[in-house]
Amino acid sequence: MILTGVLLAVIGLGLVGWFAARARARLLYTGRGSMHSMPGYHGWHMALWILVPGLLTWAVWSGIMPGLVNGAVMADPAAAQLPAEEMHRAAILAEAQTLAANPDAVAFDAKSQALAEPMRAAQTRFGFMGAALILIAALAGGGYGFTRVRARFPARTHVERAVLALLLAASLMAILTTFGIVASLLFEAGLFFKDVSPIAFLTGTHWAPGNARGVDIDGNFGAVPLFWGTIYIGAIIAMLVAIPLGLMSAIYLTQYASSTVRKWIKPTLEILAGIPTVVYGYFAALTVAPIIRDFAGSLGMANPSTESALAAGLVMGVMIIPFVSSMADDALAAVPRAMSDGSLALGATRSETIKKVLLPAALPGIVAGVMLAISRAIGETMIVVMAAGASARLSANPFDSMTTVTYQIVQMLTGDQEFNSPKTLSAFALGLVLFVVTLILNIIALRVVKRFREAYE
Amino acid sequence: MNSPDWNSPAAAKRLARRHAAERRFKLIGLGAILLSLAFLALLLFIMMHSGLGGLSWGFLSGSDSTDPHVAGIWSATKGSILTMLVTLVLSFPMGVLAAIYLEEFAPRSRWIEWVEVSINNLAAVPSIIFGLLGLAVFLNTMDLPRSSPLVGGLTLALMTMPVIVISGRNAIKAVPPSIRDAALAVGASKVQAVFHHVLPLALPGIMTGTIIGMARALGETAPLLMIGMRAFIVTPPGGVTDPSSVLPMQIFLWSDEIDKAFVQNTSAAIIVLLAFLLAMNGLAIYLRNKFEVRW
Amino acid sequence: MTETKLTARNVDVFYGPKKAIDNVSIDIDNGIVTAFIGPSGCGKSTFLRSLNRMNDTIAGARVTGEILLDGEDIYAPTMDPVALRARVGMVFQKPNPFPKSIYENIAYGPRIHGLAGNKADLDVIIEQSLTKAGLWDEVKDRLMDAGTALSGGQQQRLCIARAIAVSPEVILMDEPCSALDPIATAKIEELIDELKENYAIVIVTHSMQQAARVSQRTAFFHLGNLVEYGETSEIFTNPREEKTKDYITGRYG
Repeated sequence: MILTGVLLAVIGLGLVGWFAARARARLLYTGRGSMHSMPGYHGWHMALWILVPGLLTWAVWSGIMPGLVNGAVMADPAAAQLPAEEMHRAAILAEAQTLAANPDAVAFDAKSQALAEPMRAAQTRFGFMGAALILIAALAGGGYGFTRVRARFPARTHVERAVLALLLAASLMAILTTFGIVASLLFEAGLFFKDVSPIAFLTGTHWAPGNARGVDIDGNFGAVPLFWGTIYIGAIIAMLVAIPLGLMSAIYLTQYASSTVRKWIKPTLEILAGIPTVVYGYFAALTVAPIIRDFAGSLGMANPSTESALAAGLVMGVMIIPFVSSMADDALAAVPRAMSDGSLALGATRSETIKKVLLPAALPGIVAGVMLAISRAIGETMIVVMAAGASARLSANPFDSMTTVTYQIVQMLTGDQEFNSPKTLSAFALGLVLFVVTLILNIIALRVVKRFREAYE
Repeated sequence: MNSPDWNSPAAAKRLARRHAAERRFKLIGLGAILLSLAFLALLLFIMMHSGLGGLSWGFLSGSDSTDPHVAGIWSATKGSILTMLVTLVLSFPMGVLAAIYLEEFAPRSRWIEWVEVSINNLAAVPSIIFGLLGLAVFLNTMDLPRSSPLVGGLTLALMTMPVIVISGRNAIKAVPPSIRDAALAVGASKVQAVFHHVLPLALPGIMTGTIIGMARALGETAPLLMIGMRAFIVTPPGGVTDPSSVLPMQIFLWSDEIDKAFVQNTSAAIIVLLAFLLAMNGLAIYLRNKFEVRW
Repeated sequence: MTETKLTARNVDVFYGPKKAIDNVSIDIDNGIVTAFIGPSGCGKSTFLRSLNRMNDTIAGARVTGEILLDGEDIYAPTMDPVALRARVGMVFQKPNPFPKSIYENIAYGPRIHGLAGNKADLDVIIEQSLTKAGLWDEVKDRLMDAGTALSGGQQQRLCIARAIAVSPEVILMDEPCSALDPIATAKIEELIDELKENYAIVIVTHSMQQAARVSQRTAFFHLGNLVEYGETSEIFTNPREEKTKDYITGRYG
């Protein structure tokens, strides 16, 4: 509470500092060339000197204050009653916190009632202490900043340096995110691999985390059926749909369609890519899967399941069509017109030119596009969650229900589970595999695309 | 080499065969497009057919319920709005600043190359991985409130930022160097030239990219499953730290209901979601056509 | 000794609403080289591309009037542009070998038109074409190397060999030397001189010297009009039209 007020105060101070420094700089202005920087920059310089120390102190104090408060409360005689067990103790402290903030609330545990008063006192004490520190930091910074408002002071250079630092920080977010992904996946997967051997995980063919206990644990975490399901649905069935349809659409649009037709059809096709995956999943489950089940039944299969690899793969393929199409479009457009002119001038028909000259020339770009499409398909979650099923099996029958890596990640992490069980952690191991595979596909594809573009430039 | 006789019956037959192949090929292309469009039409038709009847004021303003006839989508819609606000507030400034830095100021160094590779890859990382990141970092390490628009927005912001950076860079790249030169020539500093002249000209392009990125985030479900936004929410969230659901998640939850009456709810919610997305994409196209200057 | 191979009568070419060629009539004879000259943008390449209907591939392009090949209207509905282009070959400004081997580059045309019954026939066609294009000795040991790996001049001769391989009657050349160095240019010009025995050759060039060196007849185009057409020696020494004279003496261009 106090800290929020102080935050507003610091921002207010910054505003005051901005006006004050600007006004003072204006007074210093005696004519053209008399100042290094415009008064506005002096204002910004001053405001930065107030805000940066103030906000930094605020952030640091917000981070350490809960620890200090808890420490003080634990030192209170009432805390001697607390159970030694970590989780229980944390729950009581959390409840005391709620009681301290809201005196009308009713305590669930009497122990927390006793702690509420010391908690409130500690919060107030440390809150005021922090507020004082923060204000001192902001005012000290502001005081220093104000002394720098001089005619020859290069305020603009200093402000611009701060702007550049901000820009750099923003672009480092990307690295930080990548690092965060790698670190969290590695860390949690590392915990998993303490219990389960990586070899059993990567080569085992039996997946039944529910049965995994004790000595038997390795045998029930064999992820091969998951990998197979993922590849079968995402890289085989979906691609059998997406590659021919996407490629032929791109060929028709770039080589045959008039510019008017192209102008209308292309964005319409792109709508397919903009539909949320949960909608595709629902469509697959509601409409496509029953049709496929009935079809399987008519083929004489006994008890065909509603959930099938074919339903999920088919719908996923449709989702990927615009993606393949636009990658192929780019690849075809990158082939110089001179190539097709050369072929047409020899008396080749359009389709001969496309099949024998354009497609071979565009092949690297198209292959890269397909790799990106596969990477997208195997990472796709909602469609398989809603239409592919949960049974981990190694089957080549497209009418069978199959499960995938993404499905199992969702399965392992939803519902009531304790977090540190191997079952939950296996989601991170699966995530790690998925991340590594898509990363490799993406890097190779982006590189091929880049080299391919350069070849024709 | 004697000149071939183009008028011989054999040559004519061969030509006819080649032209037939040409027509076949063209038809296959047309067929591919029509098939894709037919699928789109079927999907939209089925959603409309089974959902339009469910759209009513009560549906739009109500909250989730176990009774399909009183269940509504306002709580999920409000959750979506709050989540998108968090996403936008974080990813837009970050993305634009990063794009400016990379396009205008970054030195050609190994570090910057890493940043670029990183951004290109993040744009292609499966969304569920971002969910795992959110779970491990925001929930387990930072102890932020589970199921909240705050955590959902943070997660989606990390996912959206690369999209904004990439479109932002393209928009900035499209501003001709002569504009920068003109500003520098009247004595502006590099920072002033970029913020006063280049950025305003690139803004429509950046906005278009941002809206498209936001539309993708709005339809995203998988990463939010990871951070527990699949809760049964009967009261609309009051703030970004309250437990909340989002529209796609509501669709997912209803699609799992046994009660057949939920089919109408699910389809109606899909219509609402698609309407939002259509509006966003329409806005993006409008912005692009209205403000984009061709150099 | 010469016979008329191509006849154009009152030909207009439009790109959308814009008229690029205005009422051109010309006879092109067998066994000689005809040069089209004129300042850039005068329509000489546009007219050349209408002689084998390559303009069909440009959206919005339209040709009116009559163009006859051996008396047959090439824009008649019965005329198949595919068969026409096999008879009227073309060489482009920039060498454009396919990204395939030298062998495959030449084999492409005969294969699509079914000119070779078997591999041996095809090999004969390839050797003959490359020999005629003066490239055989340079590449006979590396027929499977990429065509794009050759030098610029060799690439252009490969493109000429590719055109010859389908036994055309006319060869159209659109500034074939503009991307080449002087030595490669000299080789191509020598080759054109040899080839004219068997084909009607039309060459578009922006170099008057080249036109004077290789052609027997010259047509001067200006702003989409055919200003003057006659024996090359006449045009260069004694032009009838004032405009031709101005261009040849370098007053504009």
